[in-house]
Amino acid sequence: MSDLNFDYALLIPEFILVGTAILIIMADLFRKELGLGRLVLPAIAALGTIAAGAASLAYIDDVDDFANVIAIDNYTTFFRVLFTVVLLVVVVSGYEYVERNIRHTGEFYALLLLSTVGAIYMAGARELLTAYISIELLSFSLYVAVSLAKTNPRSAEAGLKYVLLGGVASAMLLYGMSLIYGTAGSTQYSEIAAAFSGGTSEYGFALLLGLVLLIAGLGFKASAVPFHMWTPDAYEGAPLPITAYLSATSKAATFALLLRIFAGPLLPVIDQWQWMMATIAVMTMVGGNLIALQQTNIKRLLAYSSIGQVGYMLMAITTISDASASALLVHVAGYLITNLAVFSAVIAFHNRTGKEELDDFAGLAETNPYLAMVLTAGMFSLAGMPLLAGFVTKFILFQAAASGGYLWLATVAVIASTISLYYYLQVIRRMYLLEPARGESGRWRLSPAGYIATGTLTAGVFLVGIYAGPLFTVADRAARVLALS
Amino acid sequence: MIPEQFGRVGVLMLFALSFPALPLIVSQLFYRLRIRPEHPDPVKNATYECGVESEGSAWGQFNARYYLFALGFVIFDVEVVFLYPWAVNHAGLALGALVKAAVFIGVLAFGLAYAWRRGALEWR
Repeated sequence: MSDLNFDYALLIPEFILVGTAILIIMADLFRKELGLGRLVLPAIAALGTIAAGAASLAYIDDVDDFANVIAIDNYTTFFRVLFTVVLLVVVVSGYEYVERNIRHTGEFYALLLLSTVGAIYMAGARELLTAYISIELLSFSLYVAVSLAKTNPRSAEAGLKYVLLGGVASAMLLYGMSLIYGTAGSTQYSEIAAAFSGGTSEYGFALLLGLVLLIAGLGFKASAVPFHMWTPDAYEGAPLPITAYLSATSKAATFALLLRIFAGPLLPVIDQWQWMMATIAVMTMVGGNLIALQQTNIKRLLAYSSIGQVGYMLMAITTISDASASALLVHVAGYLITNLAVFSAVIAFHNRTGKEELDDFAGLAETNPYLAMVLTAGMFSLAGMPLLAGFVTKFILFQAAASGGYLWLATVAVIASTISLYYYLQVIRRMYLLEPARGESGRWRLSPAGYIATGTLTAGVFLVGIYAGPLFTVADRAARVLALS
Repeated sequence: MIPEQFGRVGVLMLFALSFPALPLIVSQLFYRLRIRPEHPDPVKNATYECGVESEGSAWGQFNARYYLFALGFVIFDVEVVFLYPWAVNHAGLALGALVKAAVFIGVLAFGLAYAWRRGALEWR
């Protein structure tokens, strides 16, 4: 026991996040006595998030671990920065929405901060139980957050569906982990890898069952087809900033965990899970994008579009290699920026109109050309048009899959990506080609926070699309930690 | 290795199942053979033969107020379970253990303060 490294300084960014969460709840409890204005809570949340993100930069190129359960390396640092940036964006672009639609604002920010801690530890975990507890920290915070719009029955319904299905998924995941522990004799990633390298013929069925359950449980969390049923309902019922957060951090954290597990402890048994992953990837890409074709609500459309994106990312797990791991990180970062740009535009639109059906976007180019431009850039980027983030990140992702010997998978991905262009264009068509509804043709402006959030993110979408070199370098350095060939 | 372990659990499970099943089968068998008499009456057929008489079905509605208290109770119940090993070994532990326990209790106290302030402890 004595040789474990209990250096608490390694966890400073998470201490900052948790401390900020407690501070926010306290401030919210004594709001009246302290005479706090309505901007105080989001300001504390934003400052704490920036501090945590800045603090995580101190660990660049560290190779260390906390008590053998949480790795502090470039991979963790990459996701620490990514998740704090997402949190900051959600706070900035969402605070007006929260002020108007959610009564418990303190809980909203505190839950987001705590779930970000869970997400970071999912990326950093190097032991199965730590990974499981981090998943639960993220999920539990989100179960509550999804149903925070208490007065809206849809929100309560979404929360209930999410918690029931999430509970089933957690149970499967835990059972899968227990079977893997049973076959490998350890929950440490490195020791599992060592045990499986020595041959697995004597485990046979138990290992296969463990892998199936593990993939099913994590597939639930990542909303891969056929475990995606909760996604559209949760996305539709949740408050919009939470939907943005669900589609960004929750998804990226699941892939951070998937990549660490499947590139580490489970790599020696790749023959047993590669075909499952390929099957799920194909079903997710095709299913998500085909069902998205007939959606009429922007949140549901984005839900199915995000399922489609999950399919592309699963493809990178299938063809796991150094190139595809780094491509996956690049794609996750690019997808996060693009998706947040779209969501902050949708939040700004909802703040003004209170609507979220696709038909409500008719004539947006006339009433607010700037917002229509942001949405168009975001939609084109999600579809993978050149000059935008989506093209570059998808290109190297598909290339990595093709050069990894899965040309047919990359072909399916290209076809699915082409199909997706149709429904993204449907949104753009409504904005530019249709007339605004009668009586709503006046011009309107966003709030300053709305301009800052959408402007920065749209700039990010173009930046990644045109000058992606730095992102590639960073992702390469993060992926090198995984020590794939 | 694994099938053998499951096999042992399976034997135990068969035994556990036969334990309640056997008396029922034997009783039914005795009835068929006309060894056991059959004279049912309401008291015999009641769910519990002793204790408080049951009333209504289990599908009745419970007062939602109970769940807040139940939640609070479970949290502090579990807290005690966690503190017990720490308290027993307290004499031999370093200062760090005291600090960790203080942080743990502090977080729970914060939760209690939150519940109190939000009015979860009032019977409304």
